Amino acid sequence: MLSARLAILLALGLASPCVTMPAAAQGVQISNLSDMGFGLVTDIGSDQVQAQSVCAYSGLLGGRYIVTALGSGAGGAFTLSNGSATLPYEVQWSPSAGQTSGTNLVAGRPLPGQTMLLSCPVLQATNASLIVILRGIALSAARSGSYTGTLTVILSAN
Amino acid sequence: MASTQGTLGTTSTGSITISVSVANRAQITGLSDVTFTNIDPATAASAAQNNCVWSNTATKGYSITATGSGTSGAFTLANGPLTVPYSVQWSQTSGQSTGTALTAGTALTGLATTAANPTCSTSPSTTSSLVVTISAPSLQSMVSATTYTGSLTLLVTPQ
Repeated sequence: MLSARLAILLALGLASPCVTMPAAAQGVQISNLSDMGFGLVTDIGSDQVQAQSVCAYSGLLGGRYIVTALGSGAGGAFTLSNGSATLPYEVQWSPSAGQTSGTNLVAGRPLPGQTMLLSCPVLQATNASLIVILRGIALSAARSGSYTGTLTVILSAN
Repeated sequence: MASTQGTLGTTSTGSITISVSVANRAQITGLSDVTFTNIDPATAASAAQNNCVWSNTATKGYSITATGSGTSGAFTLANGPLTVPYSVQWSQTSGQSTGTALTAGTALTGLATTAANPTCSTSPSTTSSLVVTISAPSLQSMVSATTYTGSLTLLVTPQ
C-alpha cells in the first residue's frame, strides 16, 4: 500500500512509481493508444467523432509536457488515403480523460503548456483525450470506399 | 498496422491507425414543379429544367428511375377519372431540351455526373436535364379548362 506522502506526490506528478519508471523521472511517455475505426459511414453529411482516453505521463515539475501530432499525409498532414484520393480529418487534444472535444492540433506544430493533472498509468489508466473528427463536409466531398492513415502522437518535455 | 505505444524518454512517440469506409451515396436537388398553362393542343408542350445530381462513387456514376403517379407508376396526369399521358426524358448534361426517354419504373443506367458536392453549391451549379412532354394528341384528348395534375418521382442510385 502506498504511503500517503507518496500517493500525493504521484497524484501531483512529482514522483513516479519505481516499478515502472525507475530512472527517468524527468521523462515523458505516451501510452494506452488504440486504433480508431470509424467503420462504414452512411450519414456522410454529419461530423463523425471518435475519442479515446490515453496516458500522457510527464515526470517534469508540475507534470508539464508538449504534444505534437503528425498524420500520414503529405508533409505530415492529417489525411487518410484510399490509394488515389485523400480524406482530411481533424485532431484535438485534451489534458483530461474522457473528453470528446479539446484543443485543435495543427499537424507538426507543438501544442505547449499541457499539464498532467493526475499521474498515469499507476494512479489511473488514462489522463488525457485524443479526439479525431471527420467533418461531414469532407465526407461528402470524398469518393466512396475505404480510407486509412496513421496518426503519430509525440510527447516532449516542456 | 496496430497502435504503438511510446517509451519513457525526453520524447515519447506513439501511433494509431485510423480507418473509415465511406458508403456509396447519391443525391438529386434543384427540381422544380412543372406547370403547363393554356396550352395550344395543336402542338406538343414540353418543359425542360436543369437540376443537380451528385454521386460519390469513383466514377461518379448513377442510374435514374422515374415513377409517375398513375396506375403502376405510369406517367399520367389526372383530374378524377380523366387522365392524360406524358413522357419523361433525361440528359446527364444540363441545358438540354431533349434526352433519353425514360420508362416508368425502369432504371436508366450508365450515367455520370460532374457535380463537385451533393447540392452543386460550387461549380457546376447544375449537371443534368429533365424534360417533360405532353404530345399533341394527348393534349387534344384533354378536356379544355380542366386542370390535370400528377407527381413525378425521380430515384437516383449511385453506381
